[in-house]
Amino acid sequence: MRLRWKLTVASLKMFTRQKEAIIWTMLLPLFMVFLFGFVSFEGLGKIRIGVAGGEDEPAGQLAGQLGEVRTVQVTRGSESSELEQLTAGKRHLVLVLPEQFHAASGKELRVLVNDGTPEETQLGLLILRKVLDDETFRMHTAPGRVPMTLQSVASRRSSYIDFLLPGVLSLAIMQSGIFGVAFGFVALRKRGVLRRLSVTPMRPQDFIAAQVAMRLMVLLTQIVVLVGVGIVFFDLQFLGSLLDLFAMGLLGGAVFLAIGFFLAGIARTEDQVVPLANVVSLPMMLLSGVFFSRSNLPEPVRLVTEFFPLTYLADGMRSIVLEGSTLPALWLQLAGLALWSIVSVWAAVKVFRWE
Amino acid sequence: MILAVDNLCKRYGDLVAVDRVSFSVRRQEIFGILGPNGAGKTSTLEMIETLRPIDSGTVTLDGLDVGRHPRQVQQRIGVQLQTTSFFEKLNLRELLLLLGELYGRSVDPVQLLSEVDLQDRAKAQVEQLSGGQQHRFSVAAALVNDPLLVFLDEPTTGLDPQARRHLWGVIRRIRSEGKTVVLTTHYMEEAEELCDRVAIMDRGRIVADAPPPKLIGDLLASGFKKERVERLANLEDVFLHLTGHALQEE
Repeated sequence: MRLRWKLTVASLKMFTRQKEAIIWTMLLPLFMVFLFGFVSFEGLGKIRIGVAGGEDEPAGQLAGQLGEVRTVQVTRGSESSELEQLTAGKRHLVLVLPEQFHAASGKELRVLVNDGTPEETQLGLLILRKVLDDETFRMHTAPGRVPMTLQSVASRRSSYIDFLLPGVLSLAIMQSGIFGVAFGFVALRKRGVLRRLSVTPMRPQDFIAAQVAMRLMVLLTQIVVLVGVGIVFFDLQFLGSLLDLFAMGLLGGAVFLAIGFFLAGIARTEDQVVPLANVVSLPMMLLSGVFFSRSNLPEPVRLVTEFFPLTYLADGMRSIVLEGSTLPALWLQLAGLALWSIVSVWAAVKVFRWE
Repeated sequence: MILAVDNLCKRYGDLVAVDRVSFSVRRQEIFGILGPNGAGKTSTLEMIETLRPIDSGTVTLDGLDVGRHPRQVQQRIGVQLQTTSFFEKLNLRELLLLLGELYGRSVDPVQLLSEVDLQDRAKAQVEQLSGGQQHRFSVAAALVNDPLLVFLDEPTTGLDPQARRHLWGVIRRIRSEGKTVVLTTHYMEEAEELCDRVAIMDRGRIVADAPPPKLIGDLLASGFKKERVERLANLEDVFLHLTGHALQEE
């Protein structure tokens, strides 16, 4: 026990003195959060309407009325230049106004629509129709409109960062488990350090235990740092319990550490580690819903990703952070990770090589 | 007798690397295994050190059968491997303390380092040491468990003449403290200067085993004459005369 503790302390020392290790496990995930945290993927962009033809006053009036709608951005230009912008995808709608056009003129309004952006186009048309109808209403006496009252309610704002941060945290746990262990262990083996250790009475399991303990401590630090940064800098809505997050993280960490040892067992050199680790981690990184919700995936793919260990971990972490779920509610994720950890530990033991 | 090797064999596929090797080492002896690269020196040593399974034959170390009691043997021996490698990012002091823990011992790093004249590099990391210093450090690392028997595999390969002589001094000092040293080398003058007894190994077999003066005497007695009489000094002597016997601080 004393030996394992001393070995753990020594491994922690080695780890913290390694710049690359700190960069990979702490700075890179933070960088991802900062990068994506400041990029807004939410909300509808402006609906860009081009107004062509009609240099006259009624045309200017219509353009002005459209421009008052908050989500609309109006540009004016000649028919040919606006059409060019439309084909380039820079307009959603282009109105081609006849001379002296106004709502009551009875003249036909030609609208060119962008086929590539059906949602914005549709919305743009509705707004256009409403602006024109308002004008018509104003000129005729018409039946009264349905009255509406507005009341603002403060509601829970779930921002992209709330979605992203638990995902990046899970990703960081996976990466430092798989890459850290596989790369580190193969390097120790190749440099002959393990061989040197095997002439001492130390048993390999003492060394492995210390490595695992060290990695799990790093993992807990990752959780604290990322959640802390999220709360301080990004107003992260952390609704769950940190202990639940630790428990989920440790179980996920166990899976990925075992996968790391498995890869270290089958890779002969450091050069073989990187492609192997990428084959395992890339599909999960892209498809496990770390950056984007898996609901956008094609159904068969989504079904497969359901069973990825990173999916279980990311879903579990996210549910704890966003919804404040407690462990019993996350039995599915816990069971999935437990099963994966049994399988991966078994596989790692099967291929383990000290020398 | 602290080490007795009897009919030791090792095969790698069709290659017989170690072929019925027998020798024994007395307490407080510096015993050399001399031979060209590929003679089977390292394989022999690694079987004795518990690093490699023994195909056949027996090794008895301090009364223990190495094949049967590897743990007890590991407690009694100190090993320097041919390629020196330790954990990165730990300094010499931390490395020695950690290695001591592997034997369940609290060691005195300063004392160990001064044993190999590295007391002022305690805070350095292995990568920052010169070649000779690295070799000396790995000797210190082989001493953390206060072993009865120290195995050094080509301890001076790749070192310049001064660094080599420095290491010889360290090895003699270790012996004078009551330890037994078994080393391999392919340098003839090293075997002749340093070893009380040498076993000459070639193609997996031991072809001679005696103190160097006796081996030379036997050869001369058999009527051997060198075609060219050796000059009274050689180039190494010239080199050492010009650059000094003392260590050029590395």
